[in-house]
Parts: sequence; structure tokens; C-alpha cells
Amino acid sequence: MPAELALVQNLVGSKGARTNSQNSGAMVSQALGRVNDSELIRAAQRGDRAAFEALVRQYDQAVLRLALHLTGSDSDARDIYQEAFLKAYRHIGNFRFECSFYTWIYRIVTNLCLDHLRKRQTRKEDSPVMIDSSGQEIDLLDRVSDDRAGANPEKDLMRRELGAKIAQALKRLTPRERMVFELKHYQGLRLRTIGEMLNTTEETAKNTLFRATQKLRGVLATMR
Amino acid sequence: MNCDWTKENIVLYIYDELADDAKHGMEQHIRQCPACDQELRSAMAFKGTMSVLPAHEVPPNLLAASRMKLQEALEEAEQSRGWSRFAFDITGWMHQIKLAPALSLALLITGFFGGTLTTYRIVGSHQAAPAPIKPAAAEANIAAVESIVQDASTNRVSIKYDTLHPQVAEGSANDPLIQRLLLVAARNNRDSGLRLDSIDLLAKAPEDNGVREALIYALRYDKNPGVRLKTLDALKGYVKDDVHVRDAVLESLMHDTNPGVRERAMVLLGPVRADMSVREALQVLAEHDKSKFIRSESQRLLASTPDLD
Repeated sequence: MPAELALVQNLVGSKGARTNSQNSGAMVSQALGRVNDSELIRAAQRGDRAAFEALVRQYDQAVLRLALHLTGSDSDARDIYQEAFLKAYRHIGNFRFECSFYTWIYRIVTNLCLDHLRKRQTRKEDSPVMIDSSGQEIDLLDRVSDDRAGANPEKDLMRRELGAKIAQALKRLTPRERMVFELKHYQGLRLRTIGEMLNTTEETAKNTLFRATQKLRGVLATMR
Repeated sequence: MNCDWTKENIVLYIYDELADDAKHGMEQHIRQCPACDQELRSAMAFKGTMSVLPAHEVPPNLLAASRMKLQEALEEAEQSRGWSRFAFDITGWMHQIKLAPALSLALLITGFFGGTLTTYRIVGSHQAAPAPIKPAAAEANIAAVESIVQDASTNRVSIKYDTLHPQVAEGSANDPLIQRLLLVAARNNRDSGLRLDSIDLLAKAPEDNGVREALIYALRYDKNPGVRLKTLDALKGYVKDDVHVRDAVLESLMHDTNPGVRERAMVLLGPVRADMSVREALQVLAEHDKSKFIRSESQRLLASTPDLD
């Protein structure tokens, strides 16, 4: 086990200084910190499109990032982004300030992503190839490579192989497990917030996270 | 706390979701239980492993394209407003009709004078007549920067960038559009050569807050050590007076993966070694850093730093 830990520390960076979840957690907390959305929301509810676009600009990178990581496809992510913000625009009159705008928009996005994952599960897509915005196929695992100049190619290869295994393991999760794991591990959200977003309780989110990690650990263990 | 409870809650522990008392209890149990200690290590290794698949930043092209498509869709979209959506707003309609000719004329005049007075020239790839980009639309329209060319003799900068069609903007390095494009190139483009070019040009105006912010961003997040080195040089004059610059350089010294960048950061921090945060960082590095050079240089700087007391 220490050897495994050492390998991971070696690959991720011994200090683990800038992990994904920390990065995205910072981004998310930055988004959450923008508390003064009320005026914009009220203006958008009165039909002020500029106010709505200002709201979009605050949250759209986080939304697109989530959709992109979950779908692995530029075009699917763009469709989800578009549909989510159009839904938000059409129904912003129903927003009652019972939760933050961030939670509300993420609830819309997670529902769309869950629908997408469910559809994909029935199609059994498991190709590591994705289509970018120009219609070209690109290897999903290219996103794993460390392209810092001077990076060790051998280490890079190991990262790519490990990335491939992780991508396969994530596909074994149910859409809901995948979503909870994504929001917790990669987006760095609290389980309470995740529960709110998925219209469920914190306890259920905890149980789902537990199941997801158990499954992932099991699958990754068999791949070694 | 027992082993079963620990195993059920170890995931919450590694994701920092346990209450303080439960966390404390688990830590105490783990100290005494080798099996649970092993389980914790395994869970931590799993968490580290999963971080190998990165959640990268959104490609700028994708973001720009998504925003543009959304803007178009919002033009057509209508908000749901209950029963009121069925009501016909007669006064609004009359108002619109009454002002329509005046608005059209005002738009025409603004467009004409805006086009005439513009200081830069934009040439579309199809070589149509040069048309200025409306500043408000420019940000959403810039998808990616393709190339930067500087003419040293005339101090003119030429930048090729993509919107829906590739375009070229020309102007002096201080031109607002050129500056905006350079900032886009410095932050967003995947081509490190391009980022080097833009940083090179931006480095000439680090007194601008937006530029300095972009330089700090590049120092922290650019993947290319050459770009980070160039950024360090550009920020050199601000280490003493700008605490944000100093923090960013300090962060490079502590965490940058490239030894050359760290050494350069150390040189920049030499003159401000009496600063409390720099001194503390040097003390840590002098004792624990894996690089012999960094250790010895930290010790040397500390030895030459006057005591505060």
C-alpha cells in the first residue's frame, strides 16, 4: 500500500498542492461568494436580458466545466449549457430565493446531465474518443497528459494509462452515483449542497458517495 | 468508535465531511488500529488516484462558441410569466412603433461615426472591406488568438485571432483592442509560443492592473516554464511594492515544478527577504527543500537577513 500511495503521490505531486477538487472547490466557492445576485435576479425576472446575461457570465464556466467533464464531449456539453440557461431564462420568474441561484442553476444542469448519462448508458457508449467543436475526433485521454514542457514522458504515459482506467471505472457507476462523485470529488461541493441540488437528503447523498467510492475502488483494484 | 463504523465513514473523513468530534474519534481509533490505518491509507491513495483524471479548464473556443449560441437563442426566447404572458401590452407596442424610426436613425448615425472614428483596422479572412468590431461584441466573438507579430521599427503589433471567421487586428501595442487580444492570448490559448509572444508584449506595460493580473495568472497557472520565467522577469519591478505580486512569486518559489523557475523566483525575492512571509518560506525551504541549491541559497539569504528584534 505505501508503494501505491507513493506512486500516486509521485503522479499527482507530493504536496498535492493543486488537486482538481481543490481547484474546482476554489472556483465553486468563488462562485458561491458572489452573494449579491439578488438584484440581478430581480431585474432578470422583470425581463432584463442584460441582467440575465450578467448572471450567466458568473456561473457559465462552472456549468460548462461540469457538463464537459461528465459528458466528455464538447458538443454535448455545449447543448447542456444552452438548454440549462434557456430553461433558467424561461423559468426565472419561478425562482423564489429559497436557495442560492447557484444551487438552482446547478439543479437544472445536474438534471440535464443525469438525463444525458441515462441515455448514454442505454446506448452503451464506452469509446474513449470524443468529438470536439470542429467535428474532429480526439482521444479523451489526451486530456490526461501532462503537457508541461520538460515533463517526464514515462510519467506522462503512466498518467495516461491510469487516466484510461479511471475513465473506464467511472463508466461502471450509475448516473446518480457518477453525479454525486463528480460533484464531490471533482467539483468539491459539500454533500449537503449536493443533496439540495439533486432534490434529496444529505444522508442519501452520503450513502450514494459511499457506494460510488466502494465500486470505484473495487473496479480499479481488479484493473491493476 | 469501532472498525465497522470507521470503515463506513472513512470516505466522509477523506472528503472532510465528518463533524469535528467524529473526526477526532476516528483519528484516535486509527492511531490504535493498524487495520483501519491501512484502510485510511488505501482510501487516501484512491482519492489521489482519481485526481489523475483532471477536470481541465473549459477550452476558450468552446466557451466563446457556447456564449454566442446562447445569446442567439436568448434573442428568440421568451420568459414564462404566468397569465401575464397572454396579455397584449398595448402601451409598450405603441411606444415601440412611435420610436422605431428615431431609433433606426440613431443606430445608423452611431454606426457610421463609430466606424469612421475607429483607430484600428480589421481585415476579415475573406478580404472584405475592413470593419471594426463593436467592443461589446468583441469579447464574446474572440474564440482564439492565432498569431502575434510585432514590428520593432514601427512599434506596430499585428494579431490574428478567430471569431466565427479568422480576423486580423492591427494597431499600436497600447491600443485597447490589441491589449484585450493580448490578454486573451496570455490566458486562454493553448499554444505556448503564442503565450510567450503575448507575455512579451504585455510585459512592457505591467503598470496596468489588468496586465499585471494577467501576468500573475500566467505565473501561477501557465503550463510552460518558459512563459512562467518570462512572467517573472516582467513582474520583477513590482515584487517590492505589490503584495499580490510578491505572494505569487513566493508561491512559485514554494510550489513551481520547474527548478529554473524556482531559482529565478528566489533571486527576485532576495531584496525583500526581510518580509515576514518571505522569511518564513525561506526557513521552511532551508530545512526541508529537496533541492540542494534551494536549501543552501535559502540558508545564505537567511544568514544575510537582519534580525527583526
